[in-house]
Amino acid sequence: MSESLHAVLEALPQSSLTTHILGALDYLVPGEWRNITVFEEMLKDVTGETDEALIQQVGERALQLYADESNGYQRAVQVYRGIDSASTVAGAAAMANLAGQRFEILSFLTDITPKADTTQSIDAGLKLAGELVGFTLTNGLPGDSVGDFATALVNYGKEERMRLASWLAIDCVLPLGPDFINLILGALDGPLETIQENRVFRFVSEHLPGSVAEQRDTVKRNIEESRGHLESMVSSQGITQEGVLEKVKEYVSFADDKLDLVSAALDLGTNTFEHTGIQTVARRVVQRAYGEI
Amino acid sequence: MISKLTVVLALTLCGAMSGACKKDEPKSTRWDDAAAAVASAPAASPSAVAAAPLVPAGGFNKFFPKEGEGGYKRIFAADKEGYAEAKLQKDGKEAAVISIADAERLPFARAKFGGATEKVDGFPAMTIGNNQTSVLVKDRFQVKVSSTTLDHVARKAILATFDLKGLSGTEFK
Repeated sequence: MSESLHAVLEALPQSSLTTHILGALDYLVPGEWRNITVFEEMLKDVTGETDEALIQQVGERALQLYADESNGYQRAVQVYRGIDSASTVAGAAAMANLAGQRFEILSFLTDITPKADTTQSIDAGLKLAGELVGFTLTNGLPGDSVGDFATALVNYGKEERMRLASWLAIDCVLPLGPDFINLILGALDGPLETIQENRVFRFVSEHLPGSVAEQRDTVKRNIEESRGHLESMVSSQGITQEGVLEKVKEYVSFADDKLDLVSAALDLGTNTFEHTGIQTVARRVVQRAYGEI
Repeated sequence: MISKLTVVLALTLCGAMSGACKKDEPKSTRWDDAAAAVASAPAASPSAVAAAPLVPAGGFNKFFPKEGEGGYKRIFAADKEGYAEAKLQKDGKEAAVISIADAERLPFARAKFGGATEKVDGFPAMTIGNNQTSVLVKDRFQVKVSSTTLDHVARKAILATFDLKGLSGTEFK
């Protein structure tokens, strides 16, 4: 039996390294994200209703919608989980350690291999492709402009916008610098085998149509079409390597604050796509349930 | 260059945040029964099997208010089998969520209109909770405006900008 929607949402931590990093990045998208990890709170946040019988009705319909696999919501959650877990192996162990050490300054040693720029670039591009897949599974292809994901990105709000800002900050600007789009596109133009062997690709590609070359083209097109909005988000919100590093260091102190090491550590230690992705799916299912009851 | 380096991460957030880093207690039990009921329900109830197929994705878009209608920017947000949704924005802020849902398999959703006293374009209309106004078209499609900022009158005015008659007159296959 699959997990129910309320169980999936409520399994998210109220406080973790991920939530603190997201909190640190709140300055990029002020007021968009609250760490909602209680189903009832999500129901009230989406509907604005106070009548308990109505809340119950919406909640029960949301549980039904999520439980029906054919609606795609469970697969969306799997994708958001996969984007992180594909690149986060040691992270889980490290965070378990963290959870066991309450109120103590905690140090742990871990072997961290900074990613080569090429790998980092490909990972970043593929994570955005994962976002496209997660969005489509959750919302279908809204409107008449089929596949216009770039337009959807512009209208992202709440958890979605936080996730996008976090991806820009942690996966793109921090490790790759302001020219990240060209680096990502350049890396995707490399040998097809390199992409095919990428662990994130192996996960995301299950959900993209066509051959490997066609899938690569989809990933590239996704970046190219979103480019204008992504670059304007970076410039208008002032996402810089220095700014992101400074904020992150308020929450995590690094013995070595070389950018590539900090990026690798954050990649291992956080699961921002999974955390906010589950919140997004829950919000969207609840919104639909509210429309249906 | 890839070099394997050992890095010490000193995570100080636990000490700084009261209550941080503890294992979360179960947050609620309110939904456990409902979730168990969903899990044990048959995949398709007899009434669902007998019902017509849901309207496929893409089927509802043309009945939504046009872009710019009433001064609202319309942004389509979801298009699934049996359900489509858009947001209406004014001055860059979300004013309402508008939706069409196929209630073919949701008899409880249709039944509540038995008590409806208002009409929009001749179809029964009613408020739901504090923030919704809804109309039932062809005894099957629930068209809704949800907003925490617009009142019933304003929501009803938006409902009137849907092509409700077009929706009513369409045979979906």
